[in-house]
Amino acid sequence: MSSNSRIATRPLVLAGVVVQLAAFAVSLELGEPTAYAVFAVLSAGALALGTLPGLFVPPLAFVLLLALGGSGFLYAGAGGALLLALALIATDRPPRKGVVGLAAAVAIGALLYVSWGFLADFGLVGYALALVGFVALAGALAAVAGAGGFDTVFALVGACILLALGLPILMIVGRQDPGLVLEKAANPEVQRSFYLTIFAPLLATLFTLSLGVPLAYLLARGFPGRPLVESLVDLPLVVPHSVAGLAVLFAFGRNAAFPNMDVYPTLLGMVLAMAFVSAPFAVNAAREGFEATDDHLAWAARSLGANRWETFKRVEAPLAVRGVLTGGVLAWARCVSEFGAVAVVAYNVDVFYPPAGSDVTAQHAPVYIFRTFTSQGLDDSGAVAALLLVLVAVIFVVVRTVAYDDGGWP
Amino acid sequence: MLDFDVSAHFTDADTAFDVAADLSVADGETLVLLGPSGSGKTLLLEVLAGFHDHGGRVELDGRDVTDDPPEAREFGFVFQNYALFPHLTPRENVAFGARYHDDPRNPDELLDALGVGDLADRSVETLSGGERQRVALARALAVRPAAFLLDEPLSALDAPTRDDLRGDLIDTLADETAVYVTHDRTTARAVADRVAVIADGRVRQVGTVADVFDRPNSSFVAQFTGANCVPSTILPDDVRADIDAERVAFRPEHVELGGTDATADVVRVVREDATHRITLRVDGVEFDALGSAPDGNRVSVGFHRDHIHPIEQV
Repeated sequence: MSSNSRIATRPLVLAGVVVQLAAFAVSLELGEPTAYAVFAVLSAGALALGTLPGLFVPPLAFVLLLALGGSGFLYAGAGGALLLALALIATDRPPRKGVVGLAAAVAIGALLYVSWGFLADFGLVGYALALVGFVALAGALAAVAGAGGFDTVFALVGACILLALGLPILMIVGRQDPGLVLEKAANPEVQRSFYLTIFAPLLATLFTLSLGVPLAYLLARGFPGRPLVESLVDLPLVVPHSVAGLAVLFAFGRNAAFPNMDVYPTLLGMVLAMAFVSAPFAVNAAREGFEATDDHLAWAARSLGANRWETFKRVEAPLAVRGVLTGGVLAWARCVSEFGAVAVVAYNVDVFYPPAGSDVTAQHAPVYIFRTFTSQGLDDSGAVAALLLVLVAVIFVVVRTVAYDDGGWP
Repeated sequence: MLDFDVSAHFTDADTAFDVAADLSVADGETLVLLGPSGSGKTLLLEVLAGFHDHGGRVELDGRDVTDDPPEAREFGFVFQNYALFPHLTPRENVAFGARYHDDPRNPDELLDALGVGDLADRSVETLSGGERQRVALARALAVRPAAFLLDEPLSALDAPTRDDLRGDLIDTLADETAVYVTHDRTTARAVADRVAVIADGRVRQVGTVADVFDRPNSSFVAQFTGANCVPSTILPDDVRADIDAERVAFRPEHVELGGTDATADVVRVVREDATHRITLRVDGVEFDALGSAPDGNRVSVGFHRDHIHPIEQV
């Protein structure tokens, strides 16, 4: 898809996203979403004109602006976004059809300007109807214009699910009171919680990978009974998270499988609970990494004199390292987001906290946020949640960029 | 000297396959395993290399390597799909085995000798098929193996590259002991000192190129090596009486166009490199001849007793 892209090189797209987010925050702060609307439409259009993937951007911006509420001016801007989306389709076509496509886009923009405000009065149903009509109409007109009705409809429908995913995240980050967020960031309790939220998943991921990589290797090579073992590996995926927490206690709690050992409520228990829920991600991604390596490479190494260990060390492991890293990142992210199992096994844990130079009591961030929500309400818990999201996003981006040669980005 | 008598059993989801062979390869000799797809010739090669569990015995230069893992067998394996390590450069590929051997050969000299010296530091991904196979060949040579096992090393290459590399391969293997697997009879004839024809996991005939190509022992071997295999009724009576067999085999190049034994209908003429493959029919029996395209749709042919070989079995 991006093979025919003209301007959407990776840094440009990233820069575009960063500028968008910054402008979004500034406009909200100034109480001027309209200013952002115009900016979003223009930048989205610039991206859209360059690439087919850019087709997703204008409708996203459009529906986003509507969701944020706005003026007639906003709708006009949104219409312009649609116009740019269709102009994009037109750019791949002969000029005459491009003109037809542009005319169609203008027609849709005008129609939307009139109808969207009207339909919005009907609330949820109105929005839904408008969205369906918007997609259908755009697809039909693009088809009539000979400019790829299929691509248009799929891009617009795809943009809707992206909106369903992206809007809540954008809103929880964008709709925070900066003062409250700063206050939370300075709160030692929050800092300790975040430390634990990075540290414990890291331990769990190292634990899972160190035990999971050999299993992943064996699964990739295949052995009798492999389907059964694969089912066992995937089992945690279907166990409800609170039940997973109970299961960990039944295995490693007091009077459980190991006498004189009780992981409730300790950091070890937390790590075990996290390992339980995240192991399938680590093992499966690592297995796929090993599976992607041609058997003949190992044979070649063996025939050149390398024994099993040497072959693993010099050929199989280096070639699977990307799969293993992916597994690690997925497992870490899964651990960070775990609530149920951790809340059961280790609601409060004592952990060594370097800034304090001693053990402190802390809570895993999802647990801490839930507790804040029940005790202090949406505003306070939302501020902590926004901080957590930003922190996790930053770590995710850094890990992917550092860990992969190509940055791991498209 | 490579001497083996092996058997191995393979099972897949719902199929089973057996291979077994008892062959030997003299020092400096190239034995070609020739057979159709699915005949088990590649499996046999992998068994020799120690990649699969097997029964029987493998002896290399008088040393029994039957129970040795692949790394201790001293075979140099060349794969159809090259199997170069993608995370290493060509030079690193060739040097891969050096640390496991006392007297490895110099990677740069090997790459130079095979005409890919200037590619030593490139990414493997950027090499063409022919270049990759040259690097793979250098890699196998670098550890001075006692014998080479080559699995269709040319069949993934386009025709000009194949012809080019085939020449270098023949030079390289001239003094080496080698087992060379191919389904291509042209390649087999070009590289073989001896040929073993394989089908259904069994050796059907072993012998020199002349033995197997001119004197096939069965209709399967005759057909797979490109010989005509026909009822003896088309032969002149004196030749037929002398041979005393229901079916006979003879090579297309041994049919004498313009001979005096029979008159044949011309069924089809297909250009084949510089000559023509002419399909002829005598008494309802079709067979091929090689030569220049005939003028009319009938042509007289001759059969030489020396080149007619009786076929006793299917």
